[in-house]
Amino acid sequence: MPGHSVTSTRSRTAVASPAGDHAQAAWRTLAELLRPRRRPLAAAAAWSLVEAAPALLSGLLIATAVDRGFLIGRPAAGLAWLALLGLTMAVRAVATRQMFPHLAAVIEPLRDDLVRAVVAATVTRASTGGEAPDGAAVTRLTQQVETLRNLMAGMLRNSRELGVSMVAALAGLLLLSPSAAVIIGGPVLVALISFARLLRLLVVRQRDLVIAGETLTAEATPILAGLRDVAASGAQAQAQDALRSLVAAQAAATRALAWAGTSRRLVVTLGAHVPLIGLLLAAPPLIEHGYLTAGEVVGVVIYLSTGLEPTLRTLLGTVGSWGVSLTVTLRRITEAITFSPEPPIRHRPAVGSEVVCLPAADDLETDVLTFAYSPEATPVVRDLSLTIGEGEHLAVVGPSGIGKSTLAMLLTGLLEPTSGQVRLGGVPLATVPERHLRTVMALVPQEAYVFAGTVRENLAYLCPERETAGDERLGAAVEAVGADALVERLGGLDGTIDEPSVLSAGERQLITLARTYASSARIVILDEATCHLDPAAEARAEQAFAVREGTLIVIAHRISSAARAGRILLIDSTSALAGTHTELISRSPLYADLVGHWHDGPHGHDRRLAGGI
Amino acid sequence: MRDPAPEPSQEQVTRRNGGRLVTSVATGTWAPLTLTLMVTVAGSVTALALPAVLAGTVDAVVAGRNTLPATRNLALLLVGMTLLDIASVVAGAACVASAVVSLRMRLVGRLLAASAVEAARFPTGELVNRLVSNTATTAYVPVTLLRTAVGVITSAGGVVALFTIDWRVGTAFLAGVPLTLVVIRLLFTRMSGLYDDYQAAQGRLATRLTETLAGIRTVRAAGTVDREISRVLDPLPELSAAGQALWKVQSRSVWQLALMLPLIEVFVLGVAGFGVAEGRLEPGALLAAAGYTTLALAFVGQIESLMDVAYGRSAAQRVCQVLALPVLAPGSVPLAAGPGTLSFRGVTVTREGGPLLDGIDLEIPAGAMTAVVGPSGAGKTTLALLAGRLADPDRGQVLLDGQILGEVDPASLRSAVAYAFERPALLGGDIASAIAYGNATSGIEEVRAAASAAHVDDVIRRLPAGYRTPAAEAPLSGGEIQRLGLARALLPRARLTILDDATSSLDTATEAQVTSALVEGMRGRTRLVIAHRPATAARADLVVWLEAGRIRAQGTHRELWRDPAYRALFASEPAALAGRDRSPITVPAATRPDHAVQNQEESCPATP
Repeated sequence: MPGHSVTSTRSRTAVASPAGDHAQAAWRTLAELLRPRRRPLAAAAAWSLVEAAPALLSGLLIATAVDRGFLIGRPAAGLAWLALLGLTMAVRAVATRQMFPHLAAVIEPLRDDLVRAVVAATVTRASTGGEAPDGAAVTRLTQQVETLRNLMAGMLRNSRELGVSMVAALAGLLLLSPSAAVIIGGPVLVALISFARLLRLLVVRQRDLVIAGETLTAEATPILAGLRDVAASGAQAQAQDALRSLVAAQAAATRALAWAGTSRRLVVTLGAHVPLIGLLLAAPPLIEHGYLTAGEVVGVVIYLSTGLEPTLRTLLGTVGSWGVSLTVTLRRITEAITFSPEPPIRHRPAVGSEVVCLPAADDLETDVLTFAYSPEATPVVRDLSLTIGEGEHLAVVGPSGIGKSTLAMLLTGLLEPTSGQVRLGGVPLATVPERHLRTVMALVPQEAYVFAGTVRENLAYLCPERETAGDERLGAAVEAVGADALVERLGGLDGTIDEPSVLSAGERQLITLARTYASSARIVILDEATCHLDPAAEARAEQAFAVREGTLIVIAHRISSAARAGRILLIDSTSALAGTHTELISRSPLYADLVGHWHDGPHGHDRRLAGGI
Repeated sequence: MRDPAPEPSQEQVTRRNGGRLVTSVATGTWAPLTLTLMVTVAGSVTALALPAVLAGTVDAVVAGRNTLPATRNLALLLVGMTLLDIASVVAGAACVASAVVSLRMRLVGRLLAASAVEAARFPTGELVNRLVSNTATTAYVPVTLLRTAVGVITSAGGVVALFTIDWRVGTAFLAGVPLTLVVIRLLFTRMSGLYDDYQAAQGRLATRLTETLAGIRTVRAAGTVDREISRVLDPLPELSAAGQALWKVQSRSVWQLALMLPLIEVFVLGVAGFGVAEGRLEPGALLAAAGYTTLALAFVGQIESLMDVAYGRSAAQRVCQVLALPVLAPGSVPLAAGPGTLSFRGVTVTREGGPLLDGIDLEIPAGAMTAVVGPSGAGKTTLALLAGRLADPDRGQVLLDGQILGEVDPASLRSAVAYAFERPALLGGDIASAIAYGNATSGIEEVRAAASAAHVDDVIRRLPAGYRTPAAEAPLSGGEIQRLGLARALLPRARLTILDDATSSLDTATEAQVTSALVEGMRGRTRLVIAHRPATAARADLVVWLEAGRIRAQGTHRELWRDPAYRALFASEPAALAGRDRSPITVPAATRPDHAVQNQEESCPATP
């Protein structure tokens, strides 16, 4: 059973799965992202130590200023101690300034790496065909990466407050008055422990919020993509209801998170307010017995109110909110950028491995080829044995949905058969290097891919030696498929296509046809690649490919394509039959029927179309 | 709740409109916002009382007086502060939550009411981003502004308190403030523009990713994944540069603040210490001075909030651009029963300078099948959009059985007109719901009948869960999706059915079957078919030949066939490709929801 069923499993399953198991992977991702940034991180940390100087010394210096200066009538001495405090603060300002470039050197490259990873993962995942292009991908790129960047920046900027200041304040307190430090240390410890226990709840709530946002994105995307259809079906109310319930769920998650967050305030009370009251209650007897001085009381309160409390608040805010967001966002991004280790096509060797076989010929051969989407489903392709000779022009015809596109995917090795095999030049596709296959074969799908860029970039897309792909070659291809008027209108090869959607579907198909013509592919498969062209333009393009060196396989959109081909493969729900146009007319009632539909127009003009122009 | 902007054009959407939107968000959530304001103000009052009470308690401790009453007051104050803090957080979250809901539903409402043509100006990815992300950022602005305002007032209260300790202390503080304000103002103006740059770079990246995902089958077949990844990442250096610029501005301004603020603090403490030395002040005054200086300087901390506001305003503008989309004003007259005659009277649609339709006068006979043919860019799709009022003409009128479409109430219009498209978006969940989309009351039998008529019933039966297969997960070809869209249009048995290239992805055999269904199965109902195959035109009762926005001729296919130019439409080099010098109205065409991203750059003008 091939591991890449086209029936997609979508990201919705990932959304529903508990994120818990990904925790480690998420932190590993962060570690990997930060590892190359060790130097600026270390520099920032060093400056953080310098920044913590006022936190360590403030209470001590103020207590000294009071006890040895202001209270004993020596204001000059008091001012001198304060000046020392001012100096530590100036040092902190310098440290802050020094830290910014280091932070930028951590954060900006980290964001770049993230963007790269998300883009690479999204594109690669989509291209393996295992999963359909994810509607949330673009939002994930902009939003989650941005969230992570902001969170990391915030965390790093406040890290000094987290670790260093807390320790510095406690150390300063201990230096100033060990007895006060004992009174204060206990509740702080209890507060920290209870906070650690609260984190779990916060993480769950935060994750719920993220999931609600992602569900909204996933469900809203098709509706916003199909606004015209909603209007045409008169389903505005239905669409609005669907979105309203998702929007409401997300709002409910916001509120729930806020409620869970209130517990953090109680922790501040426990860690900062309780010790303050305790100290003030204990102070009179301590002063009486000479354990504390007036200046020390002032100093301790300064440590508590300007050092410990703000630090605790920041800690709770940073860890409890940003940290939780960071964890959750990291998990989501990790899920997005790590995919299953299973390669898209399992047995295909990389170039350089020993089993590499480069086919010497370009004939394609299928051997009792069968493909089904799932074991229960009726096979889409069943026991197909067929040889397509080098340079042949084959048309594949049959009713819609009979599996013609699936056959194209199987022939190009983009889909692995359920049983049987495809051979290129006698070599099973599974052993031909991917790169070789993609160069030798060109599959042009119905939906034309034209990207913003110059016309030349678009046309030279399939030329491996892109830079050197001669303009003459591109020009000849444009001429051959009949895209010259279009290219001229776009401003020639140097013209730019800013917004591909401005081109009509047919115009975009012409560009992809010219691109394929200019490529070095020796087997070209047009999978209804001309469906948006008018019959004459289609005929011209197909003729061009027929004359072009190499094999041409046309998944026919119109029966007129079949009549032009040297041989026709007629696929029916039960069988497949190959032969020339005239052979099939006599041998297959279905084919005669298909062609016959063109006989009933006025004056027999349709017959002329059917017979080829 | 009122609309922020009465229909300004896209260009007029300026910063001002972003501001207006924020105002309307605030008015819309006035109740939780008022509560937030009250508890935040109360919280700031307790915060202002704290240093004085603390100083008093410490003085009592130092002086050896009875400390219990003072300590009790302090404890009460701290408890009150905590409770108010909690209330402020919860009320603030309630504000944000309801603002987000109201913004998002307004956005959705506007998009659903807007003309399909106008909404299509935004790529889907952009719309999703605005719905999910920009609304959220905007919704925070009122609360952030409120907290900032209260923060600034608290700071002012801190200054006043410093003066009440001693006028010298207050003056010492004020001496340092003007310079600080200058630095802050500079920072604020610098940041705002940079955020715009940053967001613009993000947008470019997102657009490229969307493009690549849309063409993923080609990318896959060409084995060019790596090249695509680097193409999408091309704008990354610009993003990086904008990010670095933001850091630079912060570094420059923040360090100045980081130097200035502590110096102010030390200066104030020094002046207060002098008071203690002279015996004018008690030692607790030092604590009070330190506390109030911290409060007074807290306004600087609001800078980051103001950055959020700047960021929020950029987001608000993006939301505004969607809210500014012109809506199709709903009519109110019910549609009277009728045979289904469609009339165009002097209908003109102008886009980007040129007319797409130019004074069209046309009667589509009731109960007949009319084919519209013409080269690409002739206005066929525009005509189809007008016929069922998915868009309004710039001039002229479209009438169904004598009633102007714009005056008919939407519900009765929708039940009378059905659409099938070249690339339908299958919405609603599973296949059955997708066919019954907009006709939720239809039973499964009706759905089956419609599917059979569209020759897609057997395809559906072959799917893993038949009619219950989620539409997004069903492996369907373009032709199958097209037939599902057709089934959706056939279901309501509408008086008028409009098929815009709705059979273009069908192979010849299937199209012939489907056309028979249209010809035989729908006899007696009006059908307007945009066609580009002679076989379809041949079976229509009437053919309307459009060229450059005008009707070139009408008649039966047989009559028109005598004209070589008409035959050329189907058989010769299309004049369309050479002569298309303006873009037709493009509408995002959708295939299936999970391919939604790729559809946004698709357009469905009638191709020859």
